Amino acid sequence: MARIIGAIGTSHVPTIGLAYDRQKQDDPSWAPLFAGYRPIAHWLQEHEVDVLVFFYNDHCTTFFFDLYPTFALGVGESFAIADEGAGPRPLPAIRGDVALQAHILESLVNDEFDLAVFQDKPLDHGCASPLPLLWPHEPDWPGVVVPIAINVLQYPLPTARRCYRLGQAVRRAVESYPEDLKVVVVGTGGLSHQIHGERTGFNNTEWDLQFLEWLEHDPERLTRMTHADYVRLGGAESVEQIMWLSMRGALQGPLRKVHQNYYLATTTAMTAVLWEVVDQAEGSARP
Amino acid sequence: MNPQIQGIEALGGTYVFDVRVSNRRLKLNRFFWNMIGRDWRERYLADPDGLMQQAGLTEEEATLVRNQDWLGLVQAGANFFVVEKFARVAKLSNMEVYAIMRGESYEEFLQTRNVPTLR
Repeated sequence: MARIIGAIGTSHVPTIGLAYDRQKQDDPSWAPLFAGYRPIAHWLQEHEVDVLVFFYNDHCTTFFFDLYPTFALGVGESFAIADEGAGPRPLPAIRGDVALQAHILESLVNDEFDLAVFQDKPLDHGCASPLPLLWPHEPDWPGVVVPIAINVLQYPLPTARRCYRLGQAVRRAVESYPEDLKVVVVGTGGLSHQIHGERTGFNNTEWDLQFLEWLEHDPERLTRMTHADYVRLGGAESVEQIMWLSMRGALQGPLRKVHQNYYLATTTAMTAVLWEVVDQAEGSARP
Repeated sequence: MNPQIQGIEALGGTYVFDVRVSNRRLKLNRFFWNMIGRDWRERYLADPDGLMQQAGLTEEEATLVRNQDWLGLVQAGANFFVVEKFARVAKLSNMEVYAIMRGESYEEFLQTRNVPTLR
């Protein structure tokens, strides 16, 4: 049976991808960011994780507003990485697993999450910005991705509670898959930032840390907040943190925070957190 | 009104992009969205006015594009995530666009940040 053994929350700032491609890992301004991902990458390698379920958003790259899905699941053996206007990135195509994706899709739809399905379409920085910091990719990625896109651009957005419930449904989908796979769920975006209008540059570290605390210990509290609450507290674009609630919804049982990195350098509070699911029977983290 | 967004208007400097705005500015946003295609970028650089006309932009919209009025575009209902694709074509970084939207010089804006040297 497939099992969810951990969860990652990560920013997906496009500049992270750019800095990665330009090999700025040792640039003093970037080093604290890249160093913050190494323990997570190490953990993924050590635990031989097979699958990353990515709750991410498309930034009007693959989808345009003429048909912008609230929830969409990607099905395919591979996904190209999108050219977002600055040319292609030097990364191999992201690997997929049609049998697993199809199972998750069937389970979600039968569970009354009627997602849109996309095939043969590229993934943009919502997924591709943090991915190479989590997984090595030479000569190829060590596992597969299940991309689940969430509309956080065009209101009405799905509510925080709906995103949380999607995560719960994804857990049921994963745990009903017969193959022995180790799965980690990834919530992307945030934390505090606003990048449009005169309020651009807004941040709120106190709220960011509160969010992380509630996400771990009291996620229900976060599901009761409106989009306006998120926008007020963390800036307009931080509303995408509802995608972290999908990640959290997919987790059950006690969690142990393995690592957290918070780096607010310019406009986005770039954050990377890893939790592992504690096996209650053994009282220790699952191998 | 969508109860989920009640209160955003009181924040100031923040423009809700909902389906009404999206519908009103669909052509403008599509024009920017197309900048992810190399052909479109090249056609824009070769003949900006011709391409804007073909894309069905209003004169008001075309003026905002011509003037690279970043704040005006956002206020009119351009979505920032397609606007940033146009910024790549205009050879501006997001940080430079942020400074303009705040009404600051690039240097002034950088000085308000924790790590101004991050590029």
